[in-house]
Amino acid sequence: MSGEPSMLEARHVCFSYNRPIVRDVSFSLMPGTITGIIGPNGSGKTTILRLLDGIIAPLSGEVVLRGNTPLSSLKRKEIARHIAMVPQNGGSYFYQTVFQFAIQGRSPHLSLMGFESMRDEEIAREVLEMTQLSHYLDARVSELSGGEKQRLLLARALAQQTEILLLDEFTANLDINYQVELMRLVRRITREKRLATLVVSHEINILGTFCDRVILMSQGVIRHQGSVQEVMTKEHLKQLFGLDFTVRPLPGGRMEVLPTIQ
Amino acid sequence: MNRLSRTKILGASVSLLGLWIIVALLSLNIGSVRVPVGTSLRLVGDFLAGENPAGDPLAAVLFSVRLPRVLLGSLVGAALATAGAAFQSLLRNPLADPYVLGVSTGASTGTILYSLIAGWMGFGIFGGGAIFARPLAAFTGAVLTMTAVYLFAGRSSHHSESSQRLLLAGIVLASFLSSINVFLLTSMNQADLRGIFYWLMGDLSRPVDPSIIPVTGLVFLGAFLLYLFSHSLNLISMGENDALILGIEVRRVRNWVYVLASLITGAVVSVSGPIAYIGLICPHLCRMMFGSDNRILFPTVFIFGAVFTLLADTLARTVLSPAELPVGIVTAVCGAPLFIYLLHRKRGNQ
Repeated sequence: MSGEPSMLEARHVCFSYNRPIVRDVSFSLMPGTITGIIGPNGSGKTTILRLLDGIIAPLSGEVVLRGNTPLSSLKRKEIARHIAMVPQNGGSYFYQTVFQFAIQGRSPHLSLMGFESMRDEEIAREVLEMTQLSHYLDARVSELSGGEKQRLLLARALAQQTEILLLDEFTANLDINYQVELMRLVRRITREKRLATLVVSHEINILGTFCDRVILMSQGVIRHQGSVQEVMTKEHLKQLFGLDFTVRPLPGGRMEVLPTIQ
Repeated sequence: MNRLSRTKILGASVSLLGLWIIVALLSLNIGSVRVPVGTSLRLVGDFLAGENPAGDPLAAVLFSVRLPRVLLGSLVGAALATAGAAFQSLLRNPLADPYVLGVSTGASTGTILYSLIAGWMGFGIFGGGAIFARPLAAFTGAVLTMTAVYLFAGRSSHHSESSQRLLLAGIVLASFLSSINVFLLTSMNQADLRGIFYWLMGDLSRPVDPSIIPVTGLVFLGAFLLYLFSHSLNLISMGENDALILGIEVRRVRNWVYVLASLITGAVVSVSGPIAYIGLICPHLCRMMFGSDNRILFPTVFIFGAVFTLLADTLARTVLSPAELPVGIVTAVCGAPLFIYLLHRKRGNQ
């Protein structure tokens, strides 16, 4: 790792809920970098995202913002100015328009009375432009397709203008072409805005193709972390999933990963 | 493109205020003695100018009967409608309302208990005591009922289920507390059974006592503070997780809104008794007119609640004239069908 300061860092984080869910987890998110977390169901991936966003507090260890600010010392509104998250199952927002939904990302920046300014409106338009939803401004959210809804959730997160972006199963239940399209968008924005992006996903191949760093987890413990080529090896993946994989290096330090199924 | 602007909110509120003035003048005019609108305006003008209109028989009707009742009805309606809008957002349930949730009934139990104790201690039944004490007792009843409803309903990971259980718990508790109320009241050595019976249905005909001053203060303060949470409630009504992600301290907002909505409910119920369904009807009509953003809903529903209750009360005191109905009968006749309609529509959505 270079001498650049990390944007968000987990330090020996533990969390239990009846049983231990996350055990002694440490890693950092760097600016302009996409980090992926891979692990079987129940390995604690979503819990880690909630810990990183301060929605739940670690039982021991801490999450630190920009090298020196413990997340526990910040109010939710302050956290939401630094960290944006795209949740796995969004709430019920079918009656809103696309624009109304996107501008809600400005919430952490509003004053006491909760009114958006012209500037907030401008930002909402910009992020809808960025996510190619400008032509839907007045459409109802319920009219959007699955892929468009995910882009809208991303737009709302971008409207928060944070330097950290957390994506929970961002491409789940989408056709492969939409998955690729969404991840290209995430990669472009991560580079352009120098975001520290964390992606939790079941799509091993998507992560192998788009991430700069990956973390392999099982049973709440980080088994391996590092560059894609170091971490996504046949041996590691077999340990994690109990399956044989075919892995093939791609240009730019990426990996193509496929399970071999007899 | 529809960023909510302050101008839109102001425009909607001012138009509704205009409507309220018209309805209020109408209500001042109608009754067993007709007070012409011109005369009302002149007398109120004189009064505001500091002149004493004593001697005019119409002035007596206007100032001692009609005007206090118009103002009381407006206050009660504004408070219950605002509380209803707050509960609906908070519980993400269009059927929530202080009456359905049992909060109004709990507040009336608090009021009756206070009156009993005050009676033993030698104060009057409905008046007397420190002017803050009765509204405070009603508020305590309201908060305890809301807490009990919450505990009885239990927690469920599935949102729609827990929201339905909350309503069921509210309805059951309300019917239980109604029985307690009747029991307490009939055990009182009190001649005015008709008055009590009317009060239990929600009634505005009782003459106001000095406790109206703290009640008015609490309603305006509570409604203003609720307004400050309107944007947070917008986000919470989308889902708790989304609200947390967007920087809302969900638990803090929730506790405040519970307390404030119970406070304004308790305050007015201590005066008017539990009037049914105002908190259900008014927010729905306002959402149809102005959209569901709480930042415009809260100010408009406050004024519209006043308008609606005034209309209902005017109807209640004229439809069987010279006899009077409790206003709660009129609101229940409007509200029950709406409740059933919403229940059906909700099932349709799922």
